[in-house]
Amino acid sequence: MTEKTLVGAAAGDDPTEGLRAVRALRDLADRLETLQVERARQLGWSWQDVADALGVSKQAVHKKHGRRI
Amino acid sequence: MFERFTKDARAAVQGAVEVAERERSESIDTRHLVVTLAEGAGRAPAALEACGVRPDDVAALARDAVRRGEVLDADALSAVGIDLDAVSRRADETFGAGALDRAARRSTRRRKHWPFTADARKALELSLREAIRLGDKGIDDRHLLLGVLRADCPGGRLLESALHDAGSDVATLRAAAEQETRAA
Repeated sequence: MTEKTLVGAAAGDDPTEGLRAVRALRDLADRLETLQVERARQLGWSWQDVADALGVSKQAVHKKHGRRI
Repeated sequence: MFERFTKDARAAVQGAVEVAERERSESIDTRHLVVTLAEGAGRAPAALEACGVRPDDVAALARDAVRRGEVLDADALSAVGIDLDAVSRRADETFGAGALDRAARRSTRRRKHWPFTADARKALELSLREAIRLGDKGIDDRHLLLGVLRADCPGGRLLESALHDAGSDVATLRAAAEQETRAA
């Protein structure tokens, strides 16, 4: 699909393309979150600081990223 | 459908699961299938060779793609005004080369069961239709290859670019695979 028709579809009312865009955004956001949380922790941020910045509970952020970092 | 799979086709699907396990993939998509189709003992490698593409090269390409993780949907992102290339460049500057790919791999957990993605299921389904269209009783690895080529999927796009680099195209590979099918 060309960029032009995709833009049209997203602005239009086709759920298929709209949901596809939502999924892509979520995927990208998840990756950026991983990178940013990792870096914040390396810079000495506490889990509480990270949680506050993300607007979620400390438990939530620790559960999602704690094992990895 | 699976009861109609030949030994080679079963080996390719089972092999795709093993590739996913080894590479810690989140799910099994058509790129995993391309790895095992190209490396397999069936007739798909011969069809690739007939197009001037080395099966080992295709398998290596597909394996690299699998290692890079799930593919971000650049088209869908551009539809909502996000330039993935620009975001990638920025992420590379801050977090090092290939940061977004790395982040995807890191977020994958070890798991016991690997689901097939929708496009992989579609490719398997299309392989059945290819077998019916060609009047073949069983579904073998060439039908799987034809199914991957027919589906709009990452594995198919990978094959397409490999064929293009070798100065060939999808139509030629389809013809080669079909010929292999008839000769068998």
